[in-house]
Amino acid sequence: MIDALLALVLVAPPVPRPSFLVPVQDTTKGKAVYVKWCAGCHGDGGAGDGAAAAHMLPRPRNFTGAIYKIRTTASGQLPTDADLLHAIDEGLPGSAMPGWRGRLSDAERRDAMSYIKTFSSFFADTSQHVVALKFSSPPGGGTGTEALKVGRQFYDSIGCRKCHGDQGRGDGPSAPTLKDDAGFPIFAADLHQSWRFRGGGTVEDIYRRLRTGLDGTPMPSFSDLVDQKFLTDQELWRLAQYVRSLSPAKPPEVRDVIHAPQIAGAVPASPDDSAWARVDRYWFPLVGQVIHKERAFAPAVSGVWVQAVHDSTTLALRVSWDDRTQSPDTAWLGFEQRLLETVAGDDSASLRAERWPDQLAVQFPHRLAGGAGGMERPYFLMGGPSDPVYQWRWTSQPRRAVAGLARGIDRFDTLPGTPAAQAVHDHGEWRVVLTRALAPSDTANEVPFDAGRAIPVAFFAWDGSSGEHGSRMAVSTWYFLALDRPTPPSVFISPVLAMLVTLGLGLVVVRRAQRRGTTR
Amino acid sequence: MRRYTEHPFWQAVGILLVAYVVVVWVVPLLPGSAIVPKSVVLQYMATVLVGVLIYVSDSEERWQRFKEPITAMLVEPRLRPVRSGVLVVVPVLVGLVAYGQVQTTVAAPPNLRSIHPAPPTEITFRGKAISLTGLENPLRQHPDSLPAYLADGKRVYYQNCLPCHGDHLDGQGHFASGFNPLPANFQDNGTIAQLTESFVFWRIAKGGPGLPREGTPWNSAMPKWEDFLTEREIWSVILFLYDQTGWTPRTWEKTGTGDGGRGTGHD
Amino acid sequence: MRKLGVVAVGAAALGLTLAAWTRQPSPTQGGATISGKMKFTGTKPAMPKIDMSEEPKCKAKYQGVPTDEAVVVNANGTLGNVFVYAKSGLPASYQAAAPSGDVTLDQDGCRYHPHVLGILVGQKLAIKNSDGILHNIKAKGVKNRPFNISQPTNMTSERTFSVPEVMVPLECNVHGWMHAWLAVLPHPFFAVSGADGSFSIKGLPPGTYTIEAWHEKYGTQTATVTVAGSETKTADFSFAAK
Repeated sequence: MIDALLALVLVAPPVPRPSFLVPVQDTTKGKAVYVKWCAGCHGDGGAGDGAAAAHMLPRPRNFTGAIYKIRTTASGQLPTDADLLHAIDEGLPGSAMPGWRGRLSDAERRDAMSYIKTFSSFFADTSQHVVALKFSSPPGGGTGTEALKVGRQFYDSIGCRKCHGDQGRGDGPSAPTLKDDAGFPIFAADLHQSWRFRGGGTVEDIYRRLRTGLDGTPMPSFSDLVDQKFLTDQELWRLAQYVRSLSPAKPPEVRDVIHAPQIAGAVPASPDDSAWARVDRYWFPLVGQVIHKERAFAPAVSGVWVQAVHDSTTLALRVSWDDRTQSPDTAWLGFEQRLLETVAGDDSASLRAERWPDQLAVQFPHRLAGGAGGMERPYFLMGGPSDPVYQWRWTSQPRRAVAGLARGIDRFDTLPGTPAAQAVHDHGEWRVVLTRALAPSDTANEVPFDAGRAIPVAFFAWDGSSGEHGSRMAVSTWYFLALDRPTPPSVFISPVLAMLVTLGLGLVVVRRAQRRGTTR
Repeated sequence: MRRYTEHPFWQAVGILLVAYVVVVWVVPLLPGSAIVPKSVVLQYMATVLVGVLIYVSDSEERWQRFKEPITAMLVEPRLRPVRSGVLVVVPVLVGLVAYGQVQTTVAAPPNLRSIHPAPPTEITFRGKAISLTGLENPLRQHPDSLPAYLADGKRVYYQNCLPCHGDHLDGQGHFASGFNPLPANFQDNGTIAQLTESFVFWRIAKGGPGLPREGTPWNSAMPKWEDFLTEREIWSVILFLYDQTGWTPRTWEKTGTGDGGRGTGHD
Repeated sequence: MRKLGVVAVGAAALGLTLAAWTRQPSPTQGGATISGKMKFTGTKPAMPKIDMSEEPKCKAKYQGVPTDEAVVVNANGTLGNVFVYAKSGLPASYQAAAPSGDVTLDQDGCRYHPHVLGILVGQKLAIKNSDGILHNIKAKGVKNRPFNISQPTNMTSERTFSVPEVMVPLECNVHGWMHAWLAVLPHPFFAVSGADGSFSIKGLPPGTYTIEAWHEKYGTQTATVTVAGSETKTADFSFAAK
């Protein structure tokens, strides 16, 4: 009953509100809000050129052209007020734009929205028809094999792969040439990270972006195709459902401890060993290294997936991350050059594109702290002069891994022992497996991987084709690796005992109660 | 229905259920609270149970009525299926709890929030000795130039601090997710609102690496900003932090000179 | 009876005058012509080759290796793809005739045909995909609203432009080398220099015009030309290699 009522409310057509109910939009108050909270990025004149703008990619929106990516209106049309408010309220995932709901009041956000509209004369032009498109509802069965097959078929036939790549990681043949309307380099979206889609990651959001396009970017609108019946609306939904299926069902949750189960038989040393499919994977977000010169304000790698197993003698760690390029890649040299010229760094940063390799570093403390509950650990950013960290460093060219001790970001001393490394670059994804014996051969310098304790671990990644090298990288804070021991049979004894005792007590209570009942 | 609402046993069951729902689902919704840990939930529920038992055993008649359904469950032949069910479910639950207790999983060590230690009385800023005790923001002595300093502070903030401390100065910048402990929330009344400007200057200038070793384990990612910013830029950004959040810095007159500027908070 | 006749004639005269007053004869079409040549001096720049190996269908449409069309120097040493139009000088009362017919922009061989074109405000631009592979057509106007349409197959999309704008850049992002330039004008007095470098703007009403010649790489040049009646005047422009 309630469901039916709710459904009725949800599908009821929006009734135009009487004018006295429409909230007043005060551009004077809006200006005060804008100057205080928005101008730092978007600029006093709304041109997207605030103090922070040069450090950002994507750049803050330039309001003077009234061109907006995330709309419910047709390609090239102005956004509705609701579209603008939605972006302000929820922010744009994957960019520096935060959601302002809860940070500014309803009135402040609405006033700021109305002030933003004053930066372009288009909003005052009454000949502009700002009408939201009518969107259908998704057809059912969107996660089924058949539906996804149809979606994939259109993914290929209408050329999505040209930019987004065969597997959707933004590595298509046209991707290295892409620029937005302002001439800034722009990445074709990585369709495996729907939680970073600017307009939201639901099937409905994806369908809307296909219908409206993302104005100001190379992403076109597919509405003409549907209007001219080259594609049915259902087929476009199938495409959206296929795109959605490339990302995890839920945005990855960060869990602090990587559990490495103990497996029978040898650990999988190859990245594509089928054994990995049975191992839980953990997501760790990486962010720009903005602590030491030279800083990285717009890092390329947004996070790594980590899996670990051990066989009581050897640890295998599989790290996978999305990287469009198998660096060095000459096809991306021009893009790298444009990136370096677009994203401001520190003065000392070189502006010349070079053929850097991709890199990954996995870091452990040099010594595992005994006291203080294992809380003591070196500085997360590669330790310090008196507090080194033990690192594995893998590079794509030469394709190898080394181990060493880092004492701060500038000093790395290689150790003779190296972890075994195998890597695959497959359609925009690196999968690297690093293996090493649990017991170190060099006990003075290498960290032992003891089962049953939390071993701090951190990750760093570089995309060479984005000009990342040295201190320009993506970093994580400390997380933990735990090598699980198989559950000993003794663990099951006490629960079973507890159950038997409880059952016995229960029977006694029942018996006594019944006896008393009959004797009374 | 009335039969149940007025019966002490079912009242007790109702109270326990309501208490559980409140503790587990309602409390986390209150502003400023978090999810209640399991052990605490257990404590709360035990307290409620004791209270209920005291109430029902308060009068003999109520106690007898309270016991009725229990006795019935134990004795009545028609309730035999319920009886068997309870005899199976309760031991299984006990077994599961016992398993949860003995089975060991490795958890992340607790992360204690670091408390700001007392600042040094003097620091060396780019080779220049600066005495922190009694130090006020020198820029405040030029009221006419304050708007210009503020504007510069805003620029410095947006070009350097924004990725971590965020647009709203609440420590939720777009890079905040990569750091632990989280970047300081300047909107919170426990950070800059509790500090003198000289303390803030010290934290900015020396960052995480400048925290004394005797403090609790620090993992602060706060850079040593003396490597990036001039003295005036740091004082300017401090002006901006207070202006933008609306807090006023603690002053030396009010707090005395002893532990001036000391407060709690984290980077 | 005669009186009545006079009144009738007077009324008719008045009616005619009124009609003439309310609907002034519009100088929509005059008879004058401005024509000329786009001269080119200096070394002909070498245009970069376009690598179409990702699009075999397009590549097959060329004998040799296609090159970029930013600068097209004709065999006779003149410059092609220069847009010429009356920038100012039309009588204030001038009203363009309602646009008739569509202007077609064809995507063929992963290039735009024509590369430079003009259109009237409100006139339909038919954007045709003759390649049958994915093109997106993006208009990056500033005064006109932009658009970005996906055309993954042989199809035609129509769009119009609401205000005059010289130029609206058109581009395809799948094929970064594809560029075209569209001028939106309130009058039909424009031309594009062709394979012999010549142009001709016909049907101008009498007046003094500022004629602008626009080239995507070499910028703009202007000339002032006065025409009367049905005369033809010459305005030559000269672009120098950079």
